[in-house]
Amino acid sequence: MPDAAAAVQPAFWPLTLMLFLPALVAAFLSLPIIPRGRDETVRWIALGTTAVVFLLSAWICLPWLFGGRGPGQFESGLARMQSVVKLPWIPAFNIEYLLGLDGISMPLVLLTTFLSVLAAAASWPITKHVKAYFVLFLLLETGMLGVFLGLDFFLFYVFWEVMLLPMYFLIGIWGGPRREYAAIKFFLYTLLGSVLMLIAILMLYFTSDVRTLSPEKLLAAHVVSPDLEPAARIAAVEKIRSAPAPIHTFNILALAEIGQSPDSPFATARVWGWSVETLAFLLLLIGFVIKVPVVPVHTWLPDAHVEAPTPISMILAGVLLKLGGYGILRICYPICPGGGLSLAWLVCGLGVVSMVYGAFAALAQKDFKRMVAYSSVSHMGYVMLGLGVWSAVAGTQYAWDAWAQGVNGAMFQMLAHGISSAGMFFMVGVLYDRVHHRNLEEFGGIFARMPVYAGLAVTIFFAGLGLPGLCGFIGEVLVTLSSWKYSQALAVCSAFTVIITAAYILWAIQRVYLGAEYKGPHGDHLEPLSQRELAIAVPLVLLAIVFGVAPQSIFRTVTPTVNRQVEALATWTRQVHDARPALSARGPVADVASTGAQP
Amino acid sequence: MDASSTLPFLLGLAWLAPLVSFAAILFYGPRMGPHGRDAARLATAAIATSLVLSLLAAGVWVSNHPVVAVSHGGADHGAVGDDGAAGPGGAADGHQEAAAAGESAHGHADDGHGAGGHGAPLPPSYSGDWYTLYEAGGLTLSIGWWIDALTVLMFVVVTLIATCIHVYASGYMHDELHDVTDHEVTLADGHHLHRPGRFPRFFQALSLFCFSMLGIVIAGNLAMVFIFWELVGICSWFLIGFYFERHSASTAANKAFIVNRVGDFGMLIGLMALWGALGTLHFGDRVVADDLGTPVNRQGLFSLVRPPARGHALTVPDGMVAAEAAADVAAIVRTGAADPAAAATAVAANVEGWRSRGLGRWLLFVAGVGIFCGCVGKSAQFPLFVWLPDAMEGPTPVSALVHSATMVAAGVYLVGRFYPVLTPDVLFVIAVIGAITLFIAATIALVANDIKRVLAYSTVSQLGYMMLALGVGGWAAGLFHLVTHAFFKSLLFLCSGSVIHACHTNDMRRMGGLLRTMPATAWTMLVGCLAIIGAGIPFVIGTSGYYSKDAILAQALSFANANPGRGWLFLAVAGGAFLTAFYMFRLWFMTFLGSPRDHHVAEHAHESPDVMVRPLLVLAVLAVVAGWTLPGGFGIANLIEQARPAGTGGIESSGYLFPGLTIPAEHESHVGAVHVTATLTAFATATAGVLLAAAMYWWKILSPGLVAGLFRPVYTFLANRWYVDELYDAVFVKPVLALAGLASGADRRIIDRIIDGVAWSARRIAGIDAWIDRWVVDGLVDATADVTWNAGLELKKLQTGRLRQYVLFIALGTVALFVLVSFLYRTALAG
Repeated sequence: MPDAAAAVQPAFWPLTLMLFLPALVAAFLSLPIIPRGRDETVRWIALGTTAVVFLLSAWICLPWLFGGRGPGQFESGLARMQSVVKLPWIPAFNIEYLLGLDGISMPLVLLTTFLSVLAAAASWPITKHVKAYFVLFLLLETGMLGVFLGLDFFLFYVFWEVMLLPMYFLIGIWGGPRREYAAIKFFLYTLLGSVLMLIAILMLYFTSDVRTLSPEKLLAAHVVSPDLEPAARIAAVEKIRSAPAPIHTFNILALAEIGQSPDSPFATARVWGWSVETLAFLLLLIGFVIKVPVVPVHTWLPDAHVEAPTPISMILAGVLLKLGGYGILRICYPICPGGGLSLAWLVCGLGVVSMVYGAFAALAQKDFKRMVAYSSVSHMGYVMLGLGVWSAVAGTQYAWDAWAQGVNGAMFQMLAHGISSAGMFFMVGVLYDRVHHRNLEEFGGIFARMPVYAGLAVTIFFAGLGLPGLCGFIGEVLVTLSSWKYSQALAVCSAFTVIITAAYILWAIQRVYLGAEYKGPHGDHLEPLSQRELAIAVPLVLLAIVFGVAPQSIFRTVTPTVNRQVEALATWTRQVHDARPALSARGPVADVASTGAQP
Repeated sequence: MDASSTLPFLLGLAWLAPLVSFAAILFYGPRMGPHGRDAARLATAAIATSLVLSLLAAGVWVSNHPVVAVSHGGADHGAVGDDGAAGPGGAADGHQEAAAAGESAHGHADDGHGAGGHGAPLPPSYSGDWYTLYEAGGLTLSIGWWIDALTVLMFVVVTLIATCIHVYASGYMHDELHDVTDHEVTLADGHHLHRPGRFPRFFQALSLFCFSMLGIVIAGNLAMVFIFWELVGICSWFLIGFYFERHSASTAANKAFIVNRVGDFGMLIGLMALWGALGTLHFGDRVVADDLGTPVNRQGLFSLVRPPARGHALTVPDGMVAAEAAADVAAIVRTGAADPAAAATAVAANVEGWRSRGLGRWLLFVAGVGIFCGCVGKSAQFPLFVWLPDAMEGPTPVSALVHSATMVAAGVYLVGRFYPVLTPDVLFVIAVIGAITLFIAATIALVANDIKRVLAYSTVSQLGYMMLALGVGGWAAGLFHLVTHAFFKSLLFLCSGSVIHACHTNDMRRMGGLLRTMPATAWTMLVGCLAIIGAGIPFVIGTSGYYSKDAILAQALSFANANPGRGWLFLAVAGGAFLTAFYMFRLWFMTFLGSPRDHHVAEHAHESPDVMVRPLLVLAVLAVVAGWTLPGGFGIANLIEQARPAGTGGIESSGYLFPGLTIPAEHESHVGAVHVTATLTAFATATAGVLLAAAMYWWKILSPGLVAGLFRPVYTFLANRWYVDELYDAVFVKPVLALAGLASGADRRIIDRIIDGVAWSARRIAGIDAWIDRWVVDGLVDATADVTWNAGLELKKLQTGRLRQYVLFIALGTVALFVLVSFLYRTALAG
């Protein structure tokens, strides 16, 4: 079967290999083939695996690096889904092995594979149960990639859960003193999100009916593979459209087409007085914002970060937090636009509250790593705000460009934060490995002791501060500028954050890196960076500069897809939402977004 | 020579040269000669290259746009010209503007842009984009240029002063060429800090600083201004915190950056107001290709706010009107949702009506004040001036650069650049802030004893002058003063650096009698003092400050005449002139005259090396001649006049927030009556100030101690700098920290308590569940629920099958939910 499919689906082998290679190697490592005590071998195998996966992902996503695009490889600048792999998995429930890449997922896949390599390299100091550690680490990579690649909602959910377990153990076994508490907390929060998400998935599944979709949309959504022969294609379309009973689907693209159609069943069907799209949006949103995380469901994050070992913190901040933003962008808005429009104030509000609250909390921290963790809460708030600024309403004549700017900014911010937060956690880890404490009051003078390290670290922290020329700036500015058109009050609050951000970052830099002398214990261990550490830090710093100076390197890929989605939703607002006769009948909050933008 | 391509090329190179130097020193600095000595040569060569390129650009400019005397056409016969330039409907929004009659004397139609409105020629300018940062759906953020006479002038001024400072610094910083013992830092073991020198690092930061500043000057849009605005901020952080081992230095650096960020907060709001309503931050118009590839003219901020079709009269742009009328727009669009084009036409037809109702004026005001907030931070205006005096922690050449041509100049420059968009209400706010600033800073300078702090407060005060000038309509006067001040303030700072270099102290009470040991420094500094007080022979000739300060006084007087209720602004200016003269000559007398007060200092003192003195001479000459206008009209004042934004310079009045406010036309201040009064006032106040200073500190007729004792409370109040730092600490810093503690505490005390409670109950329930399992279900699934609390915390458990249990648990849970929801949900749907 796979062989036959590969003939028509050129992306099958590359994507599948990239996705499951880490899991395969993990399975190999868990078998008693490599004898005990060969930790170094295990480390190199794991690092090699992540490197191969990274090369594979680069081959798929950036074909120009390898001398031109072949079939199945990704072409930047196109809006549509590419490199699609589609095979039946559980036909009884129309569950498919459906993978694909577009401008939204492609950069995140690259980020994941890239950070995995660096995190694997940063895992060298781990000496406890090395083999088990890397087994879980590689499983985690498969889980993360699966979430970004999966276009079948059930598949997505499976990978989402696959990710959860290794993370739980990685924190719970290899963590710091309070690791059990942190791991349980992480688990409980995430489980709650998963349960709510599952309910929403099932609601959408049972409400959906692909028969209502036009032949073009069936093809666009890959319900019917466009790779089929024309005759087979027509037959497949006919078969669907003439089916006697509703055909439910987990296909995320199809669900989006259904959700945005004028006669969307998600808008008309009701559960306990709520329209399905509003309820599903809310449930999915809760599931995703726990991952982002936003205030008030963020308290797992500081504990998880403080307890997690450095490489796991890098993955956690660099990739896992992005899953939430990705989910909102890929799933919540396209599938449940009605819910998105009526709850836009909630998304934006949560974002701004997180920005301000996270920044204030970061200012109060005494633990270096906890401060960085709270800075993540604050920075991810920008992502929420950017995703939510639905300003394409009647009052702006459905101008979609400001919202598109917000979403593009949010995407950029996710990628930039992936670089800068991973870098910041790594920089904290470098110090912790040497002096075994993180108390901000007991550092000082690091600049004089470790000048190269301090230079790199300060650059990364400046990226977090949002300094122009480094990656943190563009996303923040785009999001902040876009928010004005949605709500002036929120925009002012978000602009206010820049002051507090400057305060906590500069204050931390002053206490750790500046000053005359080191004040804490183990001062004699402050050795310069090793080659391995340099090899991790330098790429992060370089990327932070490249993204900051040449943001088009990201936007070239991201913007077409994001713009198409936002434009489609703006059109939906005009042609579907505002054309519906009784706005008020759709819930008490349905119209807040369209009037809330007015001062 | 085609100026439209030559100028961006020359100035672009001039802008990038310091960046190259920065990058080179960053990577190779310590390997450049012994101890990195050659880093100074590289940085100096880079900025000198910039200077040469800027001068070339100036040459190109002048050959294309000859600088001629501005004839104030209407001014001589005292009438405001009325040549019909006011566009149709110009008065519709309550803003009235008499067309600037005199301005047609430029005689230059615009080269860079298309035809403007009739009768109101655009100033010559060139704009374009080099590089796109973000572009989608008609919104563009880019790196580009806007070049007019002001840009060219500022390039020359910045690079010239920076070159002098680079040369000077290569002598001043020589201590950093070998190991340094920092006597201001005492380590825990009681020794002073001993550290390697950081000579190349200083020039690295200096180069980046110049690059950032030139970026602001050449910026073609506000986004680019903001980018380099922040970069200037971080460069100042590096340079103020250069001695980062000193706690005071790193604190001052942080303070400078954070206080500036407070201003940037306002600036961001301004940017949002513009971007959200107008969708552009470009100054000039751009020609872009639309979806079909046909070129379309996309208007920039200047022509949106001052449309050529309305004779460049200040107009609330359509975008802002529509943004404030969003509710009405929504109503129109909703009813016509089926046909977007028709709805758009209907909206457009209503815009004029909404505008006449005053919609959009608030947004325009917010935009102007917001951008000005950024300038308040950078240019150290009240209430954000507190960072500047602390910035003295940096090495003196840095102070000279920060205080003259870069950083603080950026704020004034931006107000000047952004002038066409500022409404009279915003201008009045600017004027008031400027007046408050100049007064507070001047009073603090009266009693300061640290030579650099006197100069720092004097800078704050002079910046207040410039802001006030801009605010009362003196666009050219304010920018003229910016340029002349850049020369004499950098001179004064370098002189003070020379003194500090010789005395190893900043305290003027330990100086005195240095005229004999350091004659070159003393005499050049005297020139600087004369320039800053605006000394000159009335109506004949004077130092550069004489011309620029007179222009400010004249405009303030003209404003006071036009707004009788707001005449105190002129008093602030005149009073400030008196105070300036007093504290500057107090400084000079205390430092250079009399007998040495500290023999240790006096014995040590010596004239600085040539590499430091030569820049002083160059700057001293410039401080004198910069204000002169050659016969034929060539001079800085007329060069600035060439860049006057279209539509400004005439009378502007507003009845919006400040009723009856009138901003007088600038050429009216050249009218005899106003001009003579202003010049005489300036002369009288300055002379009085110098005489009082001489009486107290030279002739010693009045004892300073006695005066201080007489006004003890006032003296204490001033010596403590109006207690502003203490006030901010109590009102802002402490509450912010308390709030931060509160946020952090709420996480632990409220949210985590809830989570822990949930976990605790889960454990209880799991316990019950486990009990049922064990005793009731009889080992069906071993301790399924217990898993949520206990599972897999140790590897051996993991290896004994807990992981499998875990997966089983999740899988079972998933299936159970699947079944449950599908069942319930179908029932719900059916019901």
